[in-house]
Formats: sequence, structure tokens, C-alpha cells
Amino acid sequence: MLKSLFVFRHALPRKTEIILGIFGFFLFLAIWHITAISGVIRPEFLPTPFAVAQAFIRLFTERDFASDIAVSVGRVWFAFLLSVVVAVPLGLLMSTYRVVGAILEPFIDFVRYLPVPALVPLLVIWFGVGETSKIAVLWMGTFFQLILLIADDTKRVPGEYIESGHTLGASNGQIMRHIIVPAALPNMVDNLRITLGWCWTYLIIAEIVAANSGIGYMIWSLRRFVKTPEVMAGIIAIGIIGLLTDQAFRFAHARLFSYLRR
Amino acid sequence: MDKFIEMTDVTKTYWSADGKTETKVVLPLSLTIAEGEMVMFLGPSGCGKTTLMRIVGGLEKQDQGEIKLAGDLLVGPDRRRGMVFQSYSSFPWLSVRDNIKFGTRYRNDISAAEKDEVTDYYMGMVGLSSYGDFYTNRISGGMRQRVAIARTLASSPDVLLMDEPFGALDAQTREHLQFQLMDINKSEKKTTIFVTHDVEEAILLADRIVIFSARPARVVKEIDVNAVIPVEERRNSTADMQKFFSLRNEILKIIRAEYQQTIGAD
Repeated sequence: MLKSLFVFRHALPRKTEIILGIFGFFLFLAIWHITAISGVIRPEFLPTPFAVAQAFIRLFTERDFASDIAVSVGRVWFAFLLSVVVAVPLGLLMSTYRVVGAILEPFIDFVRYLPVPALVPLLVIWFGVGETSKIAVLWMGTFFQLILLIADDTKRVPGEYIESGHTLGASNGQIMRHIIVPAALPNMVDNLRITLGWCWTYLIIAEIVAANSGIGYMIWSLRRFVKTPEVMAGIIAIGIIGLLTDQAFRFAHARLFSYLRR
Repeated sequence: MDKFIEMTDVTKTYWSADGKTETKVVLPLSLTIAEGEMVMFLGPSGCGKTTLMRIVGGLEKQDQGEIKLAGDLLVGPDRRRGMVFQSYSSFPWLSVRDNIKFGTRYRNDISAAEKDEVTDYYMGMVGLSSYGDFYTNRISGGMRQRVAIARTLASSPDVLLMDEPFGALDAQTREHLQFQLMDINKSEKKTTIFVTHDVEEAILLADRIVIFSARPARVVKEIDVNAVIPVEERRNSTADMQKFFSLRNEILKIIRAEYQQTIGAD
């Protein structure tokens, strides 16, 4: 039985994979629980998984956590879509017209290495503590990464596709719309999925520094009262939202690009 | 038309990445191709035959000289010169039918209904009628190459340019497609430039074989294959094998000599 699981460089049945994945979670929870009840770490610092689960429910029943989640999800998607709308066309142009790439690439490479958290004070000075500054933080965090990823996806479209287009009589614009975009789309959607994940990282930073709503704000304000179970429940909530979003993207990817399956 | 494609004093030079050394790829080279003619470009690998064909296709620009098609000076690629590549260039996001139909997409000489007819016609010609709804990564390499050929034909080019289109296929599939191409050629009579390094393929398919020297490319010899083995005999596999082999050996001897030069030059 055990031997059949440890076959060198061999795939496992899908069902086994799922069971093992769930097992991994339970293993983690078990280690956590045993550590918590052993008394090695004080319960203020490490509550049991059950205490966290109860706190999770309390967050919804007593603290209107659902509206915090709604606010955070709204911010993430608004900022994310805002950076997609600008980054996708610019990324396409960057890799199809060398002049655009030559102008933008060095600047983007520079901005890309600025740590986003360091920009928060500046953005707060510029935009205040309202929604604008939080959207700006998320946008700064994702836009400059996304534009390079999109440019890269576009560059990787095989030259034969584009040359075929030319010899079939397509104009440059037609090649862009009818060949480059559909050819690069699967990779682009994958990169959007990854970028959306980064959005969440920056959201929490933005909400901790300057906010009076949202998941990050809630976690940060409960910290003051050493409500460790609630803080952990908040973190886990982010994980769950991230996992669900990621799975939704993967599902959509598999449906939209079923032709990639062999 | 005897001078359907007319290349005059074409040259092409590549520069190394640091811009210091130049490599002449094509010498001043002049060549004419008649309408409906099937011309095979043969020569040692890296000799510049593909470059020359790509220049005819407008996908690369010559340094000097000019190329005319039916008297018109050619600049850049367009629908008059269709290209079939060695790698599979069919689009994975489209079905076989939509790939072939893509060839008609930028034609404004026919109606939408005619585009469907043209699509079906060429899909049938390459024997893929029952695979119309398949995506191209679920069909074999040989089928994908047939899709590419049908797509190019559907765009109704004046000239068909084929860059080792069967080079990546296994021997049996290759032979099958060679005979299929001969059939297509019989009904379409497309002016074709076909680049290959396979001597037997060249003899089988050619009206005329142009043998190029090692780089920089110049024409070493032109062979009117029809004068040696009539195309009908080749198509029906009734050709005198003695003639076939002696022609093959003659060509191989020339290419080997050129190849030796390349090695010597390097």
C-alpha cells in the first residue's frame, strides 16, 4: 500500500492526490493542535485550531466581518482591473513596437524595484487616507509587474504565426487582434491570476497603514487587544479567499482554453 | 508567363551581433520562374536558399536588387505570396475548419458564402473533411501540415512558398504528403518555390531544380527535371528508376562538393 505511493517519478491517481492534499491540511492542524495544548507556547500566542474556528464564526456574527471582506474584495478587484486595463494594451504595444518598449522598459524596471510599502507614506500624502490611496498602492504594486509579464507573453507568440498572418494578407492591426491576442491569451490569463494574488499582499499593507475598514484593518485593530484567535481567523480568511479565486481562475482557464488539452 | 517571378541582382548580408563581421548570404543573384512552375531550391544546409525564398515572400528584405511578380516590384509581404513553414504554424485556438477558413479571412474578392465553399473545397483536397471540428493539437503532425497547406491555398496566393514543409515529418507521412502535393499541383498549377535539402523529394516534385552553392548562395546548376523524367511518370510511380538514380547521384555529387567547400571555408 505505502510502497505504491512511493514510486520514483510516477504520477498518482487524481483521487489519491486529493486525499493526500486534504491529509496535508489535517496533518498541519494536528501538529498545531498538539503544540497548542502541550502548554509549550502560551494560549495568548497560539490558540488551538478550535479556538480559531470559534473566533472565525464570532467575526461574522459579532463584528460584521462579511462587510470587511466585501470592502477588501472590492478594493482588490477595482485596483486589479484598473491595472489590467492599462497594462494589457501597453504591454502589447511594448513588444510589437520596439520604440514603445525602448522608452518604457528602463523606467518600468526602475519602478518595479521600488518597494511598494515604502511608497505608502508618499501615496498617503498625495491621496489622503481615503480609498484613492489604497487603490494607488495596489495599482503601483501590480501594474509595473503586469505590464512586463504581458509584454513577455506577447513576445513569445511564435514568429511563424505572425508571418503566416502577413502572407495571408492581414494588416498589422489585424495580426494584433486576430493572431497575437488569441495566441498569447492563455499565458496572459495565467499571469493575471498570479498578479491578482500579489494584489492581496499589498491590500493588507495598505489597510494596515491607513484604513478604517477591510480585512487588514480588522486584523490590525484586533491585534491591539491581543485577540490572537481573531487575528489568525482573519489571516485564514485571506487564505481561503485567495484559494477560491485561484481555483476560479484555473477553472475558467481550463474551460476557455480547452484546446490546449491533448 | 515566362518571367512570372523575376529576381535581379539580389544580395543579402547578415551582420554578427556585435556588428563587426558580415556574412554574405546571397550573392548578386538573378533567377526567373515561370508561371505555374514548381521550382525546388536545393543546396547544402545554411547556404541561403531559405533566406532567398523569404526575401521573395517579403519576410526579409534584400540589401540590393529587386524582385518582381508579374511585373510588379515587390515590397514586404502580402496575400500574393503564401508561405508554408517547416514548423506547425496552424493556430491551436482554432479548429481545423476555422484554421483553413482563416486563409480566406482577408480576401475581399469573394463573398462570405464563397469563403465557406473555398474552405470546404481545400479541406477536402487535403483529406481533412472529417476532421473539421478538431483542434490542431489533437491531430498528427502530418495533418497539421496539411492544414497549413490548405489554409495557404485558401488565401489564393499567386505564388506558394514552402520552407521544408515536410522536413519534420516521418518518412511515410512525408511520402504521402509529397504525392498529395503532386495531386494538388496538377489541379491548381500554382507557381511554387519549395526549399528542401532532400534530393529525392526535389526530383519527385520539381519541374526545375535550382542547386545553390555553399554560402553565399549562387546558382550552381539548374536542372529541367521534366526533360529527364516526365512529371506523369513520377506521379504514377512509373518512372525509369535508372534515370532517377543517376539524376540523384549527379545532384548529390554537386551538393557534396559544395558542402566540402563550406567545411573548408570554416
